[in-house]
Formats: sequence, structure tokens, C-alpha cells
Amino acid sequence: MGHSNWAEWIYVAVVIALLVYVGAEAWNIENLIEHTPEDAEIIKVTAQQWFWSFEHEDGTKEVGELHLKKDHAYKFEIRSIDVNHNFNIPEYVVLLDAIPGRINTVWFSPNQAGEFDIQCREYCGLIHYNMRAKLIVEDV
Amino acid sequence: MVKILHLSIIMATLFLIPTVSLAFAAESAGEYIDRKAEIWNLFFRLMVVAFVVGGVIAGTMVWQVWRFRESNPKAKPTPYEEKGEL
Repeated sequence: MGHSNWAEWIYVAVVIALLVYVGAEAWNIENLIEHTPEDAEIIKVTAQQWFWSFEHEDGTKEVGELHLKKDHAYKFEIRSIDVNHNFNIPEYVVLLDAIPGRINTVWFSPNQAGEFDIQCREYCGLIHYNMRAKLIVEDV
Repeated sequence: MVKILHLSIIMATLFLIPTVSLAFAAESAGEYIDRKAEIWNLFFRLMVVAFVVGGVIAGTMVWQVWRFRESNPKAKPTPYEEKGEL
């Protein structure tokens, strides 16, 4: 059946353009938030049933609390020594799995002083609900 | 065919080239960013696209149902209906 199909071609072009736009935007932001600044301090995060422990670059260790400085960049190296956990700071949209045998990394820069929650976001056993820690951001 | 080619060139100029170059511009990252703002802004932009597309599709369906209803005075019988085959 003969018919004009210019409208179909416009439709296809618009769909392709939208998909490219969505993909490019998402890729751009993904790159931006994954690219760690050079001067980021490395914090080793260890998850285990049912608490968090942290080790700073200078060897200082903390359990259940993490003290950071405002407007500094931090790169978390997250690992688990028992089951799967998930390291989450809701206020700063930090969310990454802690998997036994792997080190996952994520970076962020706190831009607000105060106390914030750190929690486990992957069901990890009986006391998962209370696997929490405090993030204390100091205005230095 | 020439029209399609022209249309493709116009679409590429308007949408494809700017968005692809935007994506490749991300090489200059590594700066301090507000993670929360970046992620939520991306979400809002993509939701604008999603709702516009949803609105256009829903609107097209409503229009089709209204335009091609049997009781529409402008409705034409199909060739089959004209011949009484259906």
C-alpha cells in the first residue's frame, strides 16, 4: 500500500534524538560523579554484622562514628568481611554495596557541617535495622 | 529520499551533535561537585523528557479515539465496509 511516510521518519528521528539526549546526559553526570578529585583523602570503610568501622589515611580508626572536614573530598574504599552490606549516607546521596572479597569506591565532598546518618541499605541479618553510624562533618 | 536526508541533517544539527559533544565534554571532571544537586538535577531533566513524551503519547491516543469514533460526522467507511464485506 503506497503512502507518504514522512511523519513516521520524523517520529523515528525524534525518538532517536530523545534517546541520545537521555543517554548523553546520564553518561555525562555518571562521569562527573565518578571522577575523584586528586586531593581526595582515602577512608577505608569496613562493614560487618552489624556495625561500621573507618580508617583514615593517617591510621586513625573510628567505630560507629566518622569525623570529616567540610569542603574536603573523601574517597571511600568499602569492603565487607562477612555478608553483603550497603554503605549509605542519605543526606549526601552516597550509596554503594559492600561485598566480601571486593573493594568498591565512591567519593563525595560534604558541603554542610553537622551530624548525618550512615546506614546499611542491604538486608544483612537480624540487627540490620540498627546497623547505623554517625557522620560528623566539622567546619574547620 | 532527499527530504529524509535533509530532515536527518537538520535533526543531527539540532539534537545529536550538541548532546554527543556535551557527553564528551565530561573529560574535564575531577572537580568538587555537589553530588546531590547533580543527581537530582539529572533526575528532574529526565523526568521532564519522560512526562513530555508521556503527554504526547497519551494526547495522541485520546485524539485518535475521538477522531476515528464511528459517530464522527467526518468518519469515512473503510473500503471493506463500503462493499458490505464487513
